[in-house]
Amino acid sequence: MKGRVASSVLALCAGLGFATAAFADGEFAGVTIEAKLIGGQQYEALYGRIADWEKATGGKVSIISQKNHFELDKEYKADIAAGTTSWCVGSNHSSFAPQYPDLFTDLTPLIPAESLAGFVPANIAAATINGKLTMLPRAQFDVSALYYQKSLYTDKAKAEAFKAKFGYDLAVPETWDQFRDQAEFFAAPPNFYGTQYAGKDEAINGRFYELVVANGGKMFNDDFTPAFNSPAGKESLQWFVDLYKAGAVPPGTTNYLWDDLGNGFASGTIALNLDWPGWSAFFNDPAASKVAGNVGVAPAPKGSAGVRTGWSGFHGFSVTEACATKEAAASLVDFLTNEDSQKLESAAGPLPSRTAVWEYVLDQAKSDPYKAEVLTAFQETAKTAFPVPPTPYWIESGNLIFPELQAAILGDKTVDQALQDASDAVDGLMKENGVY
Amino acid sequence: MTSAKLPPWLVLLLPAFIIILAVVAIPLVFSLYSSFTPYHLTRPDTLWKWIGGFNYIKAATDANFWKAFGRTVLLLTIALNTEMLLGLGLALMVSKVTRGQRALRTAMMFPMMFSPILVGFQFKFIFNDNVGLVNNALQSLGLTDIAIPWLVDGNLAMFAIIFAEVWTSTSVFAILILAGLFAIPQDPLEAAKVDGCTPFQSFRYVTLPFLMPFIYIAMAIRSLDVARAYDIVQVMTNGGPARRTELLWTLIGRTGYVDARMGYANAMGYISILMSIAFTVYFFLKLQSSRRELGMGD
Repeated sequence: MKGRVASSVLALCAGLGFATAAFADGEFAGVTIEAKLIGGQQYEALYGRIADWEKATGGKVSIISQKNHFELDKEYKADIAAGTTSWCVGSNHSSFAPQYPDLFTDLTPLIPAESLAGFVPANIAAATINGKLTMLPRAQFDVSALYYQKSLYTDKAKAEAFKAKFGYDLAVPETWDQFRDQAEFFAAPPNFYGTQYAGKDEAINGRFYELVVANGGKMFNDDFTPAFNSPAGKESLQWFVDLYKAGAVPPGTTNYLWDDLGNGFASGTIALNLDWPGWSAFFNDPAASKVAGNVGVAPAPKGSAGVRTGWSGFHGFSVTEACATKEAAASLVDFLTNEDSQKLESAAGPLPSRTAVWEYVLDQAKSDPYKAEVLTAFQETAKTAFPVPPTPYWIESGNLIFPELQAAILGDKTVDQALQDASDAVDGLMKENGVY
Repeated sequence: MTSAKLPPWLVLLLPAFIIILAVVAIPLVFSLYSSFTPYHLTRPDTLWKWIGGFNYIKAATDANFWKAFGRTVLLLTIALNTEMLLGLGLALMVSKVTRGQRALRTAMMFPMMFSPILVGFQFKFIFNDNVGLVNNALQSLGLTDIAIPWLVDGNLAMFAIIFAEVWTSTSVFAILILAGLFAIPQDPLEAAKVDGCTPFQSFRYVTLPFLMPFIYIAMAIRSLDVARAYDIVQVMTNGGPARRTELLWTLIGRTGYVDARMGYANAMGYISILMSIAFTVYFFLKLQSSRRELGMGD
């Protein structure tokens, strides 16, 4: 009953457009919110602000699980199966969210409209699944831009040799074809490679997806029949195969995930690296990176359709449908994604998901040329970024697609055969689940 | 009024029955049932939809499943035999040591103390093609000037996984065989010496037959316990690339927990149980025959 009254009051406040960011003292006294949060050094600075929320509202937060998203994903699925979903707040990710259509509640009635209006509209659109706002994005917006070693582009001998071989000037690549030429040109294995790519799981699937889009194709048709076995799909997969065959990437790249890529570029053995914003500070830190001071950042190159790659995702916080104190939980989620929280998180490098905080970080970076270069490159890439297709089978279909991509890259199958097999497998999955 | 009293034997056994029912029988029956449904973890209602043998037919006609099955049998065969031979050698050597044997026995058990996940990370780094220890050593010694793709090439990746598994579990065999060596009566060995047997003949015809029951017990235990290597494989290759190191454990684990298709994963699990039963029955029969040879009865 108490919950219902509080809910009505909140709804009324929201309806009248009152700011509820300033909490009534002790508003949630006696309420304990159980939370399952993503763990990891880069994510945890924000959790220090939980104590401020507790102080302001009188509520308590009990963190009952802290893991990476892949582990949280398994835990959420086990919770759904066991019916143990009465914990309240959970970390979520735009790539995983469509898998849990009923786990999380619609936040729209629980969050003040003016708070929602402060987010980048595209982020809110991507967080809305089947008409339900399933999470509020935190300042962990991810899209990949191009990191490169600047010295490679100031070497006259290299510039002349490149022009002699390819017939155009050596400059930071603006297209993925130029990127391939340059990666092959710079490679000198086993000590130096032109580039590298994430080679397994959702990581390679996402890279393939964004290249398919950049080359004018799509992963799925509107009815979710697979659409990647197309000329654009073949062109995209051929790009991965060419780089591998030419020895422009480390031979183990099909086993690499994000940490391997970040550490590889920081080791100074990689010329060009498409990577996430979270690495920018690490790459330019002399204590951690051999390329510190030599890092350039440019917007992601474009594919043959003139479209920039821009597979994007973001972290967020959701409230479970079975939570007994949704108002308090939503208040916490709102707090962890408000302007102050986003300013704190984005100070360390990650990109914000609130318009005002974007302006703030750009202004703050004026005195730091590297940070300004990073933000400009990522902001440009973010303009045309796109989320994963809105299907609960994104991860599951990816697990059928990526081994086939690997098979083509390693030469076990032709590009045509691999895409045909992947398409057949995904078609079977969709039919089996009654998607069409 | 008389109250029905349970017989004392039933009362005493009841806690054991209840526990076995709760932790073994019910989950087993439940998982068997779910293998006949399209049970998806995120859609609990699918548990009540009966689809007959669909999952079994799907697994039985899936080439990737049978390739993973064959690879798992291969890994079990190579890993268990290598561990047995190395463990036997290690036990024979340690049994001859007269000073510091206890310290050696303790040191021998160190690899067993590592969590399999840590072993996986350790060997993933050692066999990394770019910054790994093995490639750097080979390149520094001038033995190769290429980056050998240890965890990419199908054969090399299986070798790397088996190497990690053998490193961590050889000591299990060594400890069990060492216990067997200590239990061997000295009379037959002395009689062999008096009869002029060479050390090899003593080992082949006296020591080894005495050790065989211990070896088969170790084999049976390890064949059931070897699935713990899942962590190592998961960290090192996760069955890839391009399914080149896909084992039943990685395939079933991914299907059940990542794809959340628990019904299908359980069906694959039940088919692969046949393999575990076959290995266990084989080692049990060998154990019985070796005990019979020693006159120890069945």
